[in-house]
Amino acid sequence: MKVRRILALVLSAALAVTALTACTSAKDEASQKSADNKSTTLSYDTVKIGVIHIGNPADGSGYTYAHDQGIVGMQKELGLKDDQIVRKNNVSDSDPAATETAIRECIEDGCNIIFGTSWGYMDKMESLAEEYPDVYFCHGTGYKNNGKNLNNYFGRIYQARYLTGIVAGMKTESNLIGYVSAMGSENSECTGGIDAFAMGVYSVNPDAKVYVKVTNSWYSPTEETNAAKALLSEGCDVIAQHCDTPNPQLEAESAGKWGIGYNTDMSKDAPKATLTSTLWNWSAYYTYQVKQIVEGNWKCENYYGGMNDGLVDIAPLNMDLCTEDMQKAVDEAKAKIEDGSFNVFDGVIETNDGSTVGKEGETLDDETITGGINWYFKNVEVK
Amino acid sequence: MSEEISAEIAVKCSGITKVFGSVVANDGIDLEVKYGEILALLGENGSGKTTLMNMLSGIYHPDKGNIYIAGKPEAINSPMDSIALGIGMIHQHFKLVEVFSAADNIVAGTKGKLRSKSVVRDEIKKISEQLGLEVDPDKKVYNMSVSEKQTVEILKVLYRGAKILILDEPTAVLTPQETEKLFNILRKMKAQGCAIIIITHKLGEVMDISDRVTILRKGKSVETVNTAETSEKQLTELMVGKAVELSIERPEPVNVKPILNVVDLTVKNTEGSIALDDVSFVINRGEILGVAGIAGSGQKELCETIAGLQKIEKGAVLYNKENIIGKTPKEIINLGISMSFIPEDRLGMGLIASVGMTDNMLLKTYKQGKLCFVDRKPARALSKELIEQLEIKTPSTELPVRMLSGGNVQKVLLGREIHSEPDLLITAYPVRGLDINSSYLIYSLLNEQKKKNTAVLFIGEDLDVLLELCDRIMVLCHGKITGICDAKKVTKEQVGMMMTGSTMEEVLGIG
Amino acid sequence: MADTIKKEPLIRIAKRAERSNKQKLILRLLSVLLAICAGGIFILILGKNPFSYYAKMVKGAFIGKNAASPFMPFKETIKIMIPLLISSLGITLAFKMKFWNIGAEGQIIMGGIFASYFALYHYDMPHYLLFVVMFVAAMIGGGLYGIIPAFFKAKFDTNETLLTLMLNYIALYVIDWLTKGAWQDPESKGYPKIARFDLNAWLDSMGGVQIGWVIGLVLVVLVFIYLKYTKQGYEITVVSDSHATARYAGMSPSKIMIRTMFLSGAICGIAGMVQACGTEHTLSTSVAGGVGFTAIIVAWLANLNPFGILVVSFLFAVLEKGSTVVSSEFVLSPYCSDVLQGIILFFVLGCEFFIRYRFVTRGGRKND
Repeated sequence: MKVRRILALVLSAALAVTALTACTSAKDEASQKSADNKSTTLSYDTVKIGVIHIGNPADGSGYTYAHDQGIVGMQKELGLKDDQIVRKNNVSDSDPAATETAIRECIEDGCNIIFGTSWGYMDKMESLAEEYPDVYFCHGTGYKNNGKNLNNYFGRIYQARYLTGIVAGMKTESNLIGYVSAMGSENSECTGGIDAFAMGVYSVNPDAKVYVKVTNSWYSPTEETNAAKALLSEGCDVIAQHCDTPNPQLEAESAGKWGIGYNTDMSKDAPKATLTSTLWNWSAYYTYQVKQIVEGNWKCENYYGGMNDGLVDIAPLNMDLCTEDMQKAVDEAKAKIEDGSFNVFDGVIETNDGSTVGKEGETLDDETITGGINWYFKNVEVK
Repeated sequence: MSEEISAEIAVKCSGITKVFGSVVANDGIDLEVKYGEILALLGENGSGKTTLMNMLSGIYHPDKGNIYIAGKPEAINSPMDSIALGIGMIHQHFKLVEVFSAADNIVAGTKGKLRSKSVVRDEIKKISEQLGLEVDPDKKVYNMSVSEKQTVEILKVLYRGAKILILDEPTAVLTPQETEKLFNILRKMKAQGCAIIIITHKLGEVMDISDRVTILRKGKSVETVNTAETSEKQLTELMVGKAVELSIERPEPVNVKPILNVVDLTVKNTEGSIALDDVSFVINRGEILGVAGIAGSGQKELCETIAGLQKIEKGAVLYNKENIIGKTPKEIINLGISMSFIPEDRLGMGLIASVGMTDNMLLKTYKQGKLCFVDRKPARALSKELIEQLEIKTPSTELPVRMLSGGNVQKVLLGREIHSEPDLLITAYPVRGLDINSSYLIYSLLNEQKKKNTAVLFIGEDLDVLLELCDRIMVLCHGKITGICDAKKVTKEQVGMMMTGSTMEEVLGIG
Repeated sequence: MADTIKKEPLIRIAKRAERSNKQKLILRLLSVLLAICAGGIFILILGKNPFSYYAKMVKGAFIGKNAASPFMPFKETIKIMIPLLISSLGITLAFKMKFWNIGAEGQIIMGGIFASYFALYHYDMPHYLLFVVMFVAAMIGGGLYGIIPAFFKAKFDTNETLLTLMLNYIALYVIDWLTKGAWQDPESKGYPKIARFDLNAWLDSMGGVQIGWVIGLVLVVLVFIYLKYTKQGYEITVVSDSHATARYAGMSPSKIMIRTMFLSGAICGIAGMVQACGTEHTLSTSVAGGVGFTAIIVAWLANLNPFGILVVSFLFAVLEKGSTVVSSEFVLSPYCSDVLQGIILFFVLGCEFFIRYRFVTRGGRKND
């Protein structure tokens, strides 16, 4: 008994001593690593890509599916083998520990490029980018860039949203259009998207209102359903969305109303409701980015592609539900965006609290669009 | 293949074995009772009586052996089966719904259509009259005395048509007068052809009521004798397994002087009703003061008040003229008051059930010693000393005390308390659940304390023991003292009358 | 003879004799083996090879493919173990007292919140001072949160199980509120999150893993000594057995309950601080992430023995880490590995039943 007690005390003392003497601070370790490793050149045979998904590509629709289709497209385009892609699915972006584990697993698996597709991965990607200076970190939808091996990618989805707004504005009969948004006015990405959409609506139907319902989550199937339900009960007859699942479309379909999908062409989820969808074509970006890195052209610049880059688009209109007039209006606007004569956030814009934004003859700069839109267009009402 | 058994035999158990873990509770027990007969099942605590009866009432299932009811082999898998076979069990602890009336309790759980109150009442009345039971069907159980509740229990099983009646220690909670009444009822039932098994360890009652006695010892049925052909002495020997001397010594008190003075004490119990009502008495050094009373007459509250565990309404408890009311047990210990309390719930209050003897020795002294560590060395030494002195049977000082037998548990507790050499020793039911040998050992330990000039307060339940062991007997009834009398000059019947509320003046006819 | 007896049940449950330690060990090993077999069948149904699946799983928890840092997975496993180990030790204190603290989750979160305050707003202190301040703050945070149910139980005899459970959700929403309100990262452009801690507030690492593991090991020893050799540990034993006995011995069960719950919560709080400052480097709703509940299973399986907890929490971490690796290697939904984990737990926990009981069959009785 006594021996054990002494043993225990000695053990704890020994632990305490080693803990004090052998401590290395996190900073030291990071710098140590960067000194040890030398950068190696990549080729299409040696490149290995890790993708951190918030959802599961197997869902077959929505945000994660769109990104994964982009990866698949890139893989085909560049002729990569299956084992050159490592996917980590269902990694919660509000769980830093899980994020870190997933990324580390990719690196340990030999990945030299990491694509993190969700906002919340940002801080962990930043930390790990410091720890692994030889790995390229590309983070979608955030804003951080360390000038070395962490950049950021996103796109001008608002361009496509403007076009879908035209369709919604022409289709609505009740002049009430619902919009399920993941985040509230504090989030520029969501708010800018709503504004672009509302401006599209306004351009063809100045009497229509856009009702916004916020779920406060990027991925929450039940909340998204509930929000769509609420909007439908308010009298909305077109449900647009900025959230990850096709649930709002399904809800609109079951209510016999219409919707505007997001991420992927959701007319295959809700063929009787989805008029069109706001599309991401991520393969445009992923192909470009991997090519740039492998060919030694990495500049650690942020990527902000638009319709001209083929990154964003509007899905073909569902002609069972849409008219030729709509197609014509969309085509006209699209042409103007593509030739640069129209940039959506042009000139003086009236907000729903009566103030104005922007100057005559100017357009909002990218920094404002990605981080500074906290106002709603005049026909928007938050419910 | 199966042997022919006469249908006259109500219950026949052959070779019943029941094992709990490593404990063999019943080991090939044989037992037989005929209709129209009262069989006493005699045995010390832990000899397997209750286990055997629980198998008859379908609570347990035998591992080996067969049970025949009315001559047919039966498997009794649940209490329902047991009732269907006409077996009625009356447990030591009543299983009645307090807020129901007697009639509702009697009907509760019976199958078939709900019958009108008047029909039920008539039926109850019919059964009651046959046996001379006195029960008001509409009286609520919480208003009943213990003996009334027991009557309801009996009615309950008879109403279900039981022809075989099992009573587990039915007299433990009754006064001598009530016991006699119960026995009269049982005799009438026997005359009507019921088979009755009565479990008890009181020899006097066995001799009084039974036709035959089956004696169990350590899980085995050692003998079945006809009551008329035996004696208490023979039964004891069969029960214990060897000849025992059954007498309690009572040394003359010497150097008697008051140590604890209880003045006008009124205490409420946890339910908020009066448990002790204006009680005053004195405990003297060098004598044993016995407390007699039906269970729940305020004994528990009395002990716990003196030990500082109970809030009081009014009054004072003076220990050598210092009032200890309002002081916590810790403060009482700190005052240097040397008092030991051996509570009735030994594993629930006096001892730590889940740990060994060593840790139990520490209970009141663990604070001693340096630093924040517990010093177990002296406690281990004390444990070993007690094991030797009191012949405590345990394989190790570290075996959890809950694994010890009741007698050994009591020895551990008593040993610890006596070791602290108190000036005042309070013991509540110290022999409850103990075998005869252990009981007598405890009595002699108490007498030793008395000779050392310790004051002893002895709460007891067996009147015979109280009368033999104590110097004075205080009788409690419903929280009031009905008398404090000289144990040498009072009879069992007189104490019994005081227990039911007659004052000493009425009983003894003196002022 | 037995044939004539009607309707005896086919199978009955009977309590068995206390088994020897060796028997218990064999039974537990057997249950693990059975679990692996049952899990193997599940993997087969999924169309994978169970042998390579398990091999990958074990390997995935220890050794990586990257030759430069082959032990990275092992370090990740340790990282998963750290909060589990520490919070299991925390609840062990309460469980030893038979105080059913299932609020470790909330206490971890509160510890994390208290520590995060200093990590976010006072990170410019000297590094080691900051460490001590955060450590103490976490203990106070978790401890105070642990006191709440103890106080109410002592005063009003409330049910601690319900109260501690409910307090978990309050704590979770406090973080939610901080994330979207007072502590929101001003640079996050509206996205609700708390800023990444300054490097100065990160825990140091030792052997490539944050020093939480050292804290955990020290706590294993301290909790063991506390429970076994100190007066306060003795008091816990007495209170757990019976409050009446404690009062009889002159102890105050209320005081002991409150003190022990403070310590229990405080240790869980340390787990929160270690997770926030050592692993997540920020505060998020996932700081506890169900660890507080898993800790209950860990503590029970380890029989409330601190050294046992060390072993069991490590095995849990291996299971968890191995599962994530294998599910991505075999391109399975992560829910499949959850199912597998569930199967394994089912067998291991089910084994405890067979340690205490046995089945008696009708046929078996005849053979006696």
